[in-house]
Amino acid sequence: MKGNLGEKLQSLPKPILYLILILATSIPLFFPTEVPNEPVESTKDFYATLMALPEGSKVLLMSDWTGSTRGESKGAFRSIFKILIRRKAKVAIYSAADPQAPRVAQDAINELNMERKRKNLPTFDRWNDWVNIGYFPNAEAAINGIANDLKGAFGGRKDFPPNSPPRDVFQSPVLQGVTKVEDFPLMLVITASKTSNFAVERVSGRTPLAFAVTGVMVPETQVFYQSKQIVGYCGGLKGVYDLEQLMESGVNFPDKATGKIKSDKLGTIEGFPDPDNKGQGTRYYPTLHYALALMIIMIILGNVGMFLAKRGDKS
Amino acid sequence: MNYDLLRITAGVIATIGLYSVLWKENKFYRFFEHVFLGLAAGWTMVALWTETLKANWWDKMVGTPAETGSVATNGMYAYALLIPFGLMGYFVFSKKHNWISRIPIGIILGLWSGQQVQVWWNTYGPQIDATLKPILPTTWDSLIVPSTNGLTPEQLSQVQSQIYFSQAVNNFLFTITVVSVLSYFLFSFEVKNKAVKGINTMGRYLLMIGFGAIFGSTVMMRFTLLIDRMHFIWIEWLRDGVFPFISGR
Repeated sequence: MKGNLGEKLQSLPKPILYLILILATSIPLFFPTEVPNEPVESTKDFYATLMALPEGSKVLLMSDWTGSTRGESKGAFRSIFKILIRRKAKVAIYSAADPQAPRVAQDAINELNMERKRKNLPTFDRWNDWVNIGYFPNAEAAINGIANDLKGAFGGRKDFPPNSPPRDVFQSPVLQGVTKVEDFPLMLVITASKTSNFAVERVSGRTPLAFAVTGVMVPETQVFYQSKQIVGYCGGLKGVYDLEQLMESGVNFPDKATGKIKSDKLGTIEGFPDPDNKGQGTRYYPTLHYALALMIIMIILGNVGMFLAKRGDKS
Repeated sequence: MNYDLLRITAGVIATIGLYSVLWKENKFYRFFEHVFLGLAAGWTMVALWTETLKANWWDKMVGTPAETGSVATNGMYAYALLIPFGLMGYFVFSKKHNWISRIPIGIILGLWSGQQVQVWWNTYGPQIDATLKPILPTTWDSLIVPSTNGLTPEQLSQVQSQIYFSQAVNNFLFTITVVSVLSYFLFSFEVKNKAVKGINTMGRYLLMIGFGAIFGSTVMMRFTLLIDRMHFIWIEWLRDGVFPFISGR
């Protein structure tokens, strides 16, 4: 590498930069730490909405994430299901963004069930507690159908009862008595794509909407939250970390004076302390700070390099 | 045979293969890129039939036999009419007859356009409504929103119904941002007024701040995805998979 220090700083070999980044995102994973955190209002509202669901509520869930956004979406999916299982909710899952999404959701629930089995907890059973309605191509048309004719949209779809051939999803305990989208007291969207926008376009005002979105979608989702088109959302890794802390500590729980997480807007919402609450958010969030610190250092070094190179040119 | 470990090992090799492009373009990367594309295409084709065409079209056309808990349904052969209608779309590849493809496309566009008025209002109506915020305080009892610790529900609702100075300042900043950013998009006529030009420039800077925030959250997301891959390789595969396998635990 020829040239003065400024030029050298600006032209660090890319493989070296990538190697430093890999080290910065790997080493902290072996040394778990806790980052001080105050959950944002949108995630508190998201948690409050889930915890306010009456036991046995039927929830419609659009699961539109796959392996490509596993880092963010899987953490959100698992946390949400831990809460839904606690609320004894019945969940109807469908996907509209990617044909792989139904299978990915199914695998994530199976993983949760295996963990529950190991701890001798009751499992969250397919057909009785949740149904996989499957994939619908063209997200906009699918949600339009669901909003206007739920029976027609889900009609003909089948899922697997235990030890039995596939049957019409409307025969499952999850969808019994459901005829329109308003019969769900909540529609959840876990997405890494624009399908959340379609939900706002077609379903807002008919049943409460709550989103779990990837970090890149936070700015646009915040608009829907501020205008009260959605009741809350969990955004990116920060949202997952918030949700895990909320599960652990609740809001104003056991009371506002002594609660770890406080809110003026919300009443007392109980938490359910459990080592298992600490999942992907708690594991990845500290590491993210190392990666961001590295990026800031590199930007400063690049700018110092540019400054030095310019000064060298002048002299 | 530990099939779980085999599955994860395949995932690790594919991850390393795809990341190897960071070093340089190579055959190892190309191989896994093609494997990924092939798998995705194959999966999509199967899903298109099993998840969509069969349930929404084929079963309705030919009918279904009686099964446990469900009665038989009669076929409705009118669904067969959708085949030529769908095939008309493929005339887009014919120079001479591509007008035929415009018929189904036109119908779809017409249906879509007809819904857009309601869609637009559902999306932006509440946002316009939420933009109209009060910029004058309604009380001077406190400059900031007082703590609501230990308040009765009536007192709480009294506090929440007021606009405090700090909230009014926030709302004012919000309103200024909306107006200045909107003024930036006044392209239809030349802006000569200095005040409007100033607001226009402020709108440009505020937009840049907004784009910066969006870029920041994008970077955080990309880093998170990388962290997840590193967790997959070092923790899920090496620490929790390979080491216990080697040590026979």
